This record gives sequence, C-alpha cells and structure tokens, in this order.
Amino acid sequence: MLMMARREGETILIGDDIEVVIAHIGRSRVKVGIRAPRELTVMAREVKLVRDENLAASARSAKALTRLLTHLRPAPSSPSGSGR
Amino acid sequence: MPSVQTQYFGVISYEPDSTLEFPRGLPGFEERHRFVALRFADTQPLVFLQSLEDPGVCFITLPVLAVDPRYRLGISNEDRDLVGLPLARPLRIGEDVLCLAVIAIRETGPTANLLAPVVVNLHNQKAVQAVDPESEYSHQHALVPEEAPVCS
Repeated sequence: MLMMARREGETILIGDDIEVVIAHIGRSRVKVGIRAPRELTVMAREVKLVRDENLAASARSAKALTRLLTHLRPAPSSPSGSGR
Repeated sequence: MPSVQTQYFGVISYEPDSTLEFPRGLPGFEERHRFVALRFADTQPLVFLQSLEDPGVCFITLPVLAVDPRYRLGISNEDRDLVGLPLARPLRIGEDVLCLAVIAIRETGPTANLLAPVVVNLHNQKAVQAVDPESEYSHQHALVPEEAPVCS
C-alpha cells in the first residue's frame, strides 16, 4: 500500500480525474473531501458492507418469507404453489 | 385506512401514523423511503419491514434486544440529526427508539446485522439504518450458535 504524509488542506491525485483533499484533521478523525467522476461510487467501507448485506438479505428473504408464510396461512392457489 | 399490495402478505392496510419514513432510504435501497413494520402473533418476535413503494422489498428483522439483550446502540450525530433525535443523550431502546437488526438467511444459518441497526425515532417515526464505524458488532452476527451434530 502506498503511504503518503499530508497536512490539512493538501491534496492527493489519483489518475487524472480523482482528487482527495484532507479537509480537516481532528483529534481522532479526519475529514476527507473527494472529487471524482459521477459514475464512480464513493462510500465508506462499512456502508458498502451494509449495502451488500441489505441486498443479500432482501434477495434471500424472498424464499424464506414464502416458506414462512405458507406455514402461517393456507398456501395461495397459484400454479407455483406446490411444494416438492 | 390506506392499503397497499405486497408480494408476500397480499393486500395489507396500515395506519398512516405508523408509516416509517427513511429520509435517506437504506444502503442499497436509497430510493425506498416509506416502510411499515408488520408483526404477526405466529412469528413473534419477528418484525417485517415492508416497503410501501415496492411490493417485493421486505426485510425480515428482529428487535436488537431479542438478538443480544445487552446490545449497546451507537449512532452518529449525523444520523441522530437526520431523524430528529437529540444529540449527546443516551437513547432508551423501546422508549425513544425502535431498534431492529436486519436478518439474512444464509446456507449456514440466519445472521443478524448488528453493525447497522435500523433505528426508528418513536416520537416522529423517522428512521435510518445507522452505520456506526466505531461499532464492535458484526454485520453477520450468527443467530443460532453452532450446535453439536444431531444423532440420527
């Protein structure tokens, strides 16, 4: 990993299109400004984890919900309703 | 009472006051702002977060205290601000806020996202999925502890 020491207000360039500004250095956090092309997604790593987790949870809940709800009430009379 | 078509529960009616408003949506579902929390006697303590804008979006959730009775909520000032919660005051789960963990069903068993609970301000029904970077909790907290193999 490339390491660089920067002061408040200084900038790092990544390629031609991406600019990272060290906007503010606090006691335990730094505020970073990022200028990047619109098509690039910029997010904190933990937000990405949560995003992936939400997408997985939503996709997987479909099957679980269908199974769960057939236990709760009589199966709807749809052609795909037969269990195997 | 307004009603809405859902994929899993058919047509449901709901109290307008009970609508949860997510000003920022949820990560991955940024365009989904309005949900209702559904509970059924047969599936206690599960809470189903059903989108009012997309019939097919429904999260299975559990109150965080049902997952971990000692759960400690961490929420940033930015998120508090977003849903109108007072800054720098401890929040009582169940009194000030409803706090739900999103469940994912995996091949290895269900997991709960304790890293980013859904936090609802019970005074105004505004909600946010609070990602706390300083949280010590996992986004894939195993719900069922590993058990000894079952004799057959």
